[in-house]
Formats: sequence, structure tokens, C-alpha cells
Amino acid sequence: MKKVLSLSLVSLLGFGVLAGCNGEGSDGGGSDKDTLTIWSFTDELEEPIEVFKERHGVEVELTIIPIEDYPTRLRPVLQSGQGAPDVFTGELAFIKDWVEQDYWEDLSQEPYNADELEGDYIDYVFDMGKDSEGSVKALSWQTTPGGIFYRRSIAEKVLGTDDPEEIGERFSTMDGLFEVGEELKDAGYRLFPDEGAVRWFSQGQNPQPWVNENNELVVTEERLSHFDYAKELRDKDLTAFAPEWSPAWFASMDGKINYNAGWDELEEDAEGEKEVEVFSYALPTWGLHSVLKTNVEETAGDWAVTNGPNPYFWGGTWLGIYSGSDKKELAWDFVKMMTHDEEFLKDWALETGDVLSYLPVTEQIKDEFQDEFLGGQNNYKFFLEEAQKIDANTVTRYDQQIDTLFGNSVGEYVEGVRTKEEAIEEFYNLVRNAYPDIKVPKQ
Amino acid sequence: MKKLDNYGYMFIIPFFIVFVTFTIYPILLTFYYSFTSYSGMGDPEFTGLANYTRLLTDSYFYSALYNTLYIWGINFFFQLGIALLLAILFSDIRLKMRGLNIFRALFYLPNLITIASVALLFSILLGWHHGTINHLLLDLGIISSPIDWLNDPTTARWSVGLIGAWMWFGHTFIILMAGISGISKDYFEAALIDGANRWQTLVKVTLPLLKPIMLYVLITSLIGGLQIFDLPMLITDGTGAPQGSLNTIVLYLYNQAFRYDNYGYAAAIAYGLFVITVIFSIITFKSMYRNNVKEG
Repeated sequence: MKKVLSLSLVSLLGFGVLAGCNGEGSDGGGSDKDTLTIWSFTDELEEPIEVFKERHGVEVELTIIPIEDYPTRLRPVLQSGQGAPDVFTGELAFIKDWVEQDYWEDLSQEPYNADELEGDYIDYVFDMGKDSEGSVKALSWQTTPGGIFYRRSIAEKVLGTDDPEEIGERFSTMDGLFEVGEELKDAGYRLFPDEGAVRWFSQGQNPQPWVNENNELVVTEERLSHFDYAKELRDKDLTAFAPEWSPAWFASMDGKINYNAGWDELEEDAEGEKEVEVFSYALPTWGLHSVLKTNVEETAGDWAVTNGPNPYFWGGTWLGIYSGSDKKELAWDFVKMMTHDEEFLKDWALETGDVLSYLPVTEQIKDEFQDEFLGGQNNYKFFLEEAQKIDANTVTRYDQQIDTLFGNSVGEYVEGVRTKEEAIEEFYNLVRNAYPDIKVPKQ
Repeated sequence: MKKLDNYGYMFIIPFFIVFVTFTIYPILLTFYYSFTSYSGMGDPEFTGLANYTRLLTDSYFYSALYNTLYIWGINFFFQLGIALLLAILFSDIRLKMRGLNIFRALFYLPNLITIASVALLFSILLGWHHGTINHLLLDLGIISSPIDWLNDPTTARWSVGLIGAWMWFGHTFIILMAGISGISKDYFEAALIDGANRWQTLVKVTLPLLKPIMLYVLITSLIGGLQIFDLPMLITDGTGAPQGSLNTIVLYLYNQAFRYDNYGYAAAIAYGLFVITVIFSIITFKSMYRNNVKEG
């Protein structure tokens, strides 16, 4: 009796341990015939999944992992195939890395033949999903070009017009941008929330990848101009010291924010406490829906979007099938619906305002589109035009990290703790430290 | 003849399965990775001692060690100082402080807040042009222009050290209180009868008898402090800015592994940290032990 009891106890405990190891749910399918598993880093797939479930009468299991942990969590699962999803998304920051791996099914093959879709998408979006040999590994339904979102009422008051065309004209050069900044400052407003906002525009007309094919760090004069522009913004006091993603940044979108200016300035203004209002934000398509609309109440309807000195894009979600999945057919159905199903995409775009990359649908809806939040402006047409100007060849797998290191170096120069030369040298050192294989320029 | 059976082993098997799977195996695997160049994808490539030679000459590693010790030093000094002061006040038989349970809970409270909330709270409080603390200091006329607390190496390190002290003094306080209540009342009463004043009681009775507990606090805090990661990570968004002054060893390790995909080098940093922890623990233990012997 004693023996039986102890054995069963031990096996029970042991089983618990093993079950614990396996806890991530069904592996790549197999166990549950009609459940499609999807991993992503945002909740934007939730609604499409409801539609898909209804259409196909299947279960879909969506696992959302925060972006910071997403690559780290996904990689071992894909490597081992244990508990891997059937479909998973990739973000711009790591897509270059991932298309080169065998994790995503090659969609150029039969029965997918994704190559045939080439002309149906905005070029850069389609190109980003290809590996270096030209095979399509992932597709995307959206495009994420950026613009400058500004407050109509302030524009009307200070610049005499709130028309996106006219403002865009004035914003079309860096000098123009600074001119507008000065005018705004004289009227008590700030051009940008912080110096980081100009990073998108300092590349100017000469965008180059951070790392070229010889594995050398490419630092152009235009890149380095970011140091000077950021410093100029600070020195001329054109920003509101509200760094991106900080509470102050969000608060500044909905009206005036407190501003501890220091005694020197306070005496000038002879007010107890100073408040300041920000005019514009450099944000991409998704910034409208997931930043502005979700954080703004008072100023809703008072916005418009226009171009900056040069086109840019920021972020984006791509979608592909796990190469080891045993439900590839169903997985492809989902990818198909999400990326080139006219009926679904049209509903989706009209409902969410997401700017699509699939031209057969955008052609149908772009002329009619308008957004109340933007005072009725047709942002769709604007963003589609911007998207056509984007070149995917400047994206490298290092971008996110090198951008961060570069931004920090610029910040240190702006704060005055390092000279420009020191800051650049430190940037080179940090890049060499992070990626010993990359050759940095001679100092 | 004694009857031996193996039932006992069966009962401890589950523990060993967990221990081997989740502790021993990763430790050994990390050791293996530390001799390879591994990007997280594909297969590790054996590179011999390359990671360790790099580690020994890596100025970022040494500055990370300096930052870590700097932050830990501030943290520990204030954490132990505040906790000791409070423990002495609350255990004083002449003062007879009331409400120990309530205060104990209050002191411990910061430790219960998730670190993410703490980081967010303090980045709002310590903000530059919009921060509450600068607002207050400006209004009181103590400073004439706002201080960018988290953007200056010195104030940033002090801020993180003090936040840590605020979070952990309650924990240390409870341990010290337990240590003090473990000291027999007879000693205090004898000291009282012998005419010892408060200071003499503290220095001659309480502190010497509290030494083992303080050694425990020191070593656990040192081991924890060398691994400080969460606050710098959350406050600086992982960058270790300003000027790398909040780049602690574990943050450096994390960035090498999960940002830059240098898993091999990160594994070597982990072993470097292990060696440093062992060295510091031995030094602390030895010096404390030697003092004890001298007094004894």
C-alpha cells in the first residue's frame, strides 16, 4: 500500500513538472485539428480573427506578446518547433533578420504563388517581405508612412492658414521648418515636443542604409546634420522638453502643459508659472489611431496632417506562415484574408482608417475617405502618396539599435555634456561594442 | 540487518528534475555559450577564450561594474542607515514606541509596489521641465533653474540608489527588528542597571550582537545589488543613459544578449559577474569574521 501510494504521488508530481515544461499550448497544431494559432505583438488582429472564425468555422488562438519580449520569446519556439504558432507577425525592427531565416514559409512557391501579387502592393511594403534571394516570406496589409500632424487652430492663428497644402509647402525644407518654428515661438507656441522629432528629416534627400553590403557603418553628412538640427532646436528654444512617449508628451497633445522654465525666463515673462502648447508631432499612419486618437479629448477635430521636408516611414506589421506548421492551408487562408481579400480589407479600412498597402482596395476608397478627427481631411490619399516615395533599400537589421545609440549621442550633444566630435566618437565606440563585426569609420 | 529502501529518493526526484532542468542545465549551457559566438539563430560557433579576453579589456564592462557598485553603495548606506535607526528606535525599552505593526507594514509597503510602477512614478516626479520635484523646489526658491535629475550622471546614479533604498529599507528593518528581538532582554536590563546610557547600550550591546544579522543583510544586499537591473532598465528604457551612467552589469549583459544578439559574449559577462560576486562575498565575509575574532 505504501509503495503504491508513494509511486502514484511521485508520478503525479513528475507529471506536473513535465506538463509545466509543455505549458505553452498546442505545438504547431497536430493535437487540435481546427485550431489555428497566431502569435503577434499587437491586438490589431483581434477583429480580423473574429471575422475569420465566422467565415471558416474554426477556432483561432491569438497569443499577444509585448514587443520588447516578442523576438526573445518567439525565437526558441521557432528554432525547436515546440509550441510554435501556425502564423506569426513580424515588425519592421526585426523583419530583415527574420526573412533570411527558414522560420517563415516561402510564399513564392506553389500553392501560394505570392510573386504574382507584386504589382498589387505598395512597392516598399512588398519588398520588405522578401529575402535577399527575392523569395516572398511575409506580406503586409498596411503601409506606415509618416507625416507631421499639426493643430489647425494654432496654424490658423499664427500662420494665417490651416490648409495642409500650404503648411506642407512651408514644411518642405528644413529652413522652412525652422522659420515656422520661430514664428510659433514668437506667438508662445512650440514647434515640436522634443528634439527627437527631427530625426526623420535629417536624412534629407540622401537616405543611406546604416550598414552597407561590405558591413561598414555608413555615416553621411546628412546623418550628422541631425546633431546640428537638434542643437538648433534646443538653442532656439523651439521645443517643449516633452520627450517621445513620456507622460508630458502625451499630455501636450491635448492642450497646454506646465513648463518649469527656470527663473531667468520667468522674470522675462513675469508670470508665476509658465505653460506651453505644442504645435506639431512627427508621427506615421498608426500614430493617428493609436497615439493621437486614444490620448486626446479636447483637441479632437483640431488636427491635420501634412508632409515634412522628406518622406519617411515608421514601423509596420508583416504576416507569414510558420514553415513547420501542419495547417498551412488554413494559415494561408488567414494570410490571404488579411492581406488581399478585397471585401474584408475594404470593411476593415473603412472601419479602422488603417492605411492599406493593397492597391485594388485603396483605389476604391481613397477618394472618398475623410477623417473627422482631422477636420474632415482625406489623410488616406496623402499617406498613399507619401508611401509611393519610400525606398525599402535603406532598411537594415541593425536600424532599431543603431538609431537608439545615435539618438542617445545626439541627446548628449544637445544637453551639452559632450562636444559633437566626442559624441560621434562615442557613437562609433558603442556601435563597435554592440556589433563587433561592423567596421566603423576611421576616427 | 538494517532494511534499506529507495523510497526517499523517489520523493526528492521531482525537486531534482526541476532543479536540473531549470537551474543546472541553463548554468552549464551558459558556460558553453561563453566560449562561442552565438547570435541566437543557427548554431553556436566555438571561439575559445575570445569572449573572456574581450571581457577583460572591455572598458564598458568596467564602467558597468563601477556604476553598479556606485548605485549599490548609495542604496546600501541609506537602506541600512534608515533601517538601523528605525530598528533602534522601535526596540528601545525606554522609549516604548507604539504601533510597531502599523509602521512595519507602512515601511514595507514600497517593496510591494511593482517595479514598473515605481519607475514610472519616479520618472514623473524627477522629470526635468515637467517634474513635480523641480516644481516644488522652484516654488520654494531652493533652485533657480530646473535640474535634469535623470540626465546627469551623478544625480541619475543617486536617484536610482535612493529609490532602491526607499524600496528596501522596510525589508531590512524587519530583519533587523527580528535580530534585535533575538537578543536576550537580560543584556539590556543588565546594561541599564550598570548605568549604561543609550549610546553605550547601542554601541556595546546592540550593535555587536547584531553583527551576524548585519552580515547577512550586507551579503544578500551585495548579491542583489550586483544584479541591479530593473530600475535602470525601466528608467532609461534600456539605454543606460545618461552617458552610460546607469549601465549596470546586468543591463549590459541584457543588452548584449537581447538587443545586439551577442549571446556568447553575454554569457561571458554572466560568468564574469559570477566571479565578481564570489570575490566580493569572500572579502565581506572574511573582514567581518576577522573583526569578530579580534573582539572575541
